[in-house]
Amino acid sequence: MAGKKAVKGSLKLVSVLDLNEASVLHGQLTNMRGSDVQIDASGVERLGVQCVQVLMAAAAAWEEDKKTFVFEKVSDAFRKTMQLIGINIENLLAKEIRQ
Amino acid sequence: MDMNEIKEIFFQECEEQLAELESGLLKLNDGDRDPETVNAVFRAVHSIKGGAGAFGLDDLVSFAHVFETTLDCVRSNKLEPNQDVLKVMLKSADVLADLVTASRDGGGVDEGRSRGLVKELEALARGEMPSGGASAEPAKPAAPKPAAAKAAPAPAAAPTDDSGFQPIPFTFDGFGGEEETLMEPTTFEVQFKPRRELYAKGNEAALLLRDLSRVGEMSINCDVSTLPAFDKLDPEEAYFSWTISVKTDKNEQDVRSVFEFAEWDCDLDVKVAQVATEELPMVPVPFDLSALDDDAGDDDQDNADDHAAADAVHAAETASNVTKLAAAAARVEKKESQSAAAAAAAANAANAANSAGQTIRVDLDRVDRLINLVGELVINQAMLSQSVIENDTTGTSAINMGLEELQQLTREIQDSVMAIRAQPVKPVFQRMSRIVREVADMVGKSIRLVTEGENTEVDKTVIDKLAEPLTHMIRNAVDHGIESPEKREASGKNPEGTVKLTAKHRSGRIVIELADDGAGINRERVRQKAIDNDLIAADSNLTDEEIDNLIFMPGFSTADKISDISGRGVGMDVVKRSIQALGGRISISSRPGHGSTFTMSLPLTLAVLDGMVVTVAGQTLVVPLTAIVETLQPEAAAIHSFGANQRLISIRNSFCPLVDVGRILNFRGTQANPVEGVALLVESEGGGQRALMVDAIQGQRQVVIKSLEANYTHVPGIAAATILGDGRVALILDVDAVVAASRGQSLRQDSGMKSDMSLAATG
Repeated sequence: MAGKKAVKGSLKLVSVLDLNEASVLHGQLTNMRGSDVQIDASGVERLGVQCVQVLMAAAAAWEEDKKTFVFEKVSDAFRKTMQLIGINIENLLAKEIRQ
Repeated sequence: MDMNEIKEIFFQECEEQLAELESGLLKLNDGDRDPETVNAVFRAVHSIKGGAGAFGLDDLVSFAHVFETTLDCVRSNKLEPNQDVLKVMLKSADVLADLVTASRDGGGVDEGRSRGLVKELEALARGEMPSGGASAEPAKPAAPKPAAAKAAPAPAAAPTDDSGFQPIPFTFDGFGGEEETLMEPTTFEVQFKPRRELYAKGNEAALLLRDLSRVGEMSINCDVSTLPAFDKLDPEEAYFSWTISVKTDKNEQDVRSVFEFAEWDCDLDVKVAQVATEELPMVPVPFDLSALDDDAGDDDQDNADDHAAADAVHAAETASNVTKLAAAAARVEKKESQSAAAAAAAANAANAANSAGQTIRVDLDRVDRLINLVGELVINQAMLSQSVIENDTTGTSAINMGLEELQQLTREIQDSVMAIRAQPVKPVFQRMSRIVREVADMVGKSIRLVTEGENTEVDKTVIDKLAEPLTHMIRNAVDHGIESPEKREASGKNPEGTVKLTAKHRSGRIVIELADDGAGINRERVRQKAIDNDLIAADSNLTDEEIDNLIFMPGFSTADKISDISGRGVGMDVVKRSIQALGGRISISSRPGHGSTFTMSLPLTLAVLDGMVVTVAGQTLVVPLTAIVETLQPEAAAIHSFGANQRLISIRNSFCPLVDVGRILNFRGTQANPVEGVALLVESEGGGQRALMVDAIQGQRQVVIKSLEANYTHVPGIAAATILGDGRVALILDVDAVVAASRGQSLRQDSGMKSDMSLAATG
């Protein structure tokens, strides 16, 4: 389980997003394709590059679909890891939490 | 598990790491140069740092980091761990312990001290030998880049006074530079494209990048152009690749070593960057490690178990303690053996995980309950056997066989349960070495603590309560026992004093000896003091031993001048009381000019005992089997009278005082006829032998100790009580107390005060 659906269109990411979670996450996002998605990454403690790949590909796909794809909340670890691997997620963050 | 519990575990682990650290340093101090020892020390500090980072304990992290940096120099043979260096290290270990305590319990630490040590450590890391104090070295210009300091040694020497010190916020890359060779910062351009296998093997590009960010200042560009459309994406494929520029003082090899475990699974290119050829938009990565340090453990774990011994390490993952160790070990190995094959390193990591041993933490209460229940089980089993034996005279039935097996099983259960509680005295001893260092420093003496038998095991409750009196005595020994270096030299001794702390098992008890090679007790002064304080009569005629024991008298400790003379007396009555509260005894022997020895004898456990059940004046008593050397039936010819009411028994041409147990315990008023009884030859704490006279021997049995103090009150000469198989209560004899009392009786005639003392000493 990469996340559980609380509200339709929102996704809470699990704390450890490693290799195994990449496929799960991909599957979940595939199911949500076509609707606006808010992602809650506040619980993320570990984030692997492969999950980032999935998230970035999804962000591109959503953009193509003209649907919103935002990170509603992000944890420190999530933000830092993104920064570390050189991915700018500022434009994907919900406005309230942009720095 | 909430955060507090995790934190609690962290602190418990910290304690273990600190113990590890200290024992490692002490080994180094004794000349051990085994790289494994250095590694163990390094690991300990590193683990503390890692955990502290996860909990945001910044003070701890920063100090541990400086410490670690210096240790790394030792590890890489850049710094010879000589006595001076180790002195600083040991002090640092103390400060680290203080910081851990302060982090856990709140409260502050001596800022000046830790800052001073940070400086000393930094100086060591730069290859400077510790200086003798605040000498007038030129102050370091507040250079933003401490790495430059090493390049020009003379003018850039570190300041040694408090004022000139820069506050702790340091940069990690700065330190990285310091421990490396003196190179101008170079910018490397790293092309890194992981392949699918890299991830499949459990490696993580993000972690490699993080490690890279530790090498130096890093800017990064992530190439996401190969990322396919979302629906075509294979979640496990590797699409991203990076161009990274790293500005560092380290060389190419250091940069490459980051990718050591991954180099077969990625396309890697490291080269010195051409100036201003950057066309890719680079994102600077200002990275603080502490936020992700916790991950480090787990992910390096992944590395380790990926390469080898997956099962072993996986199992370890459940126990956070072991995991951390293993992870730390894996890290250490990884960083260290740059040229070694990956397989070898991984095997080492796996070994480290295995040798760390599997442990679980259990609430002490649960163990106590188990011990209690097993105690009941033993009693019950004894009762059962007894009633079966009474009702079955044939003695060969299957029931008897079964009972014997049951007895053995209960015994084994009991032994195993007791082993759970038994702990080596090592941690307490280690704490003492710190006290010796600190007090010796304070009073300006040079003292070496030698410990022996630190693996002697004793019940945990005893260990916990041992620390305080021991601390007190160690302080006394250092402060008053050992003379100043000048005095020692004048009297032809080694200016460095020695305090020796020994633990051993003897007659079913643990004996802890604290010996110093100081001046010994000044008996004349002690005696005079006692007379002044009305503790003894001015004309009383005391033996040397009795005078020595005066210092345990309450009231003696308050004597104002006693601490100025070579003897002791500060709070020794308090020490004695705490030892007695543990069911122990304490005695002293002193040789003027050669030092004093304190001997404490404590019960090993408060639970079971192998005893000989005897009858004395119609009462059933249990004599601890461990005390008994042999039993014999005295013959009239072997009994010799000695003095008014003392008797000796001659055994194999040597004489041994005969002690009438019934008389000592006031079971009867007259002396029993030795020929009608049995003599138990016992060895008492002092090492001397006595023959205890009892009326008859009933048998040998394992008994469960029930505290007499807790259920009734303390009875002199009796150690505890037990419940026998038939349900009756029997008293357990305190052999040493009885022996002491037999001496006390004879002393009563010449000095009234003595008998009280020896009986009070029986605990």
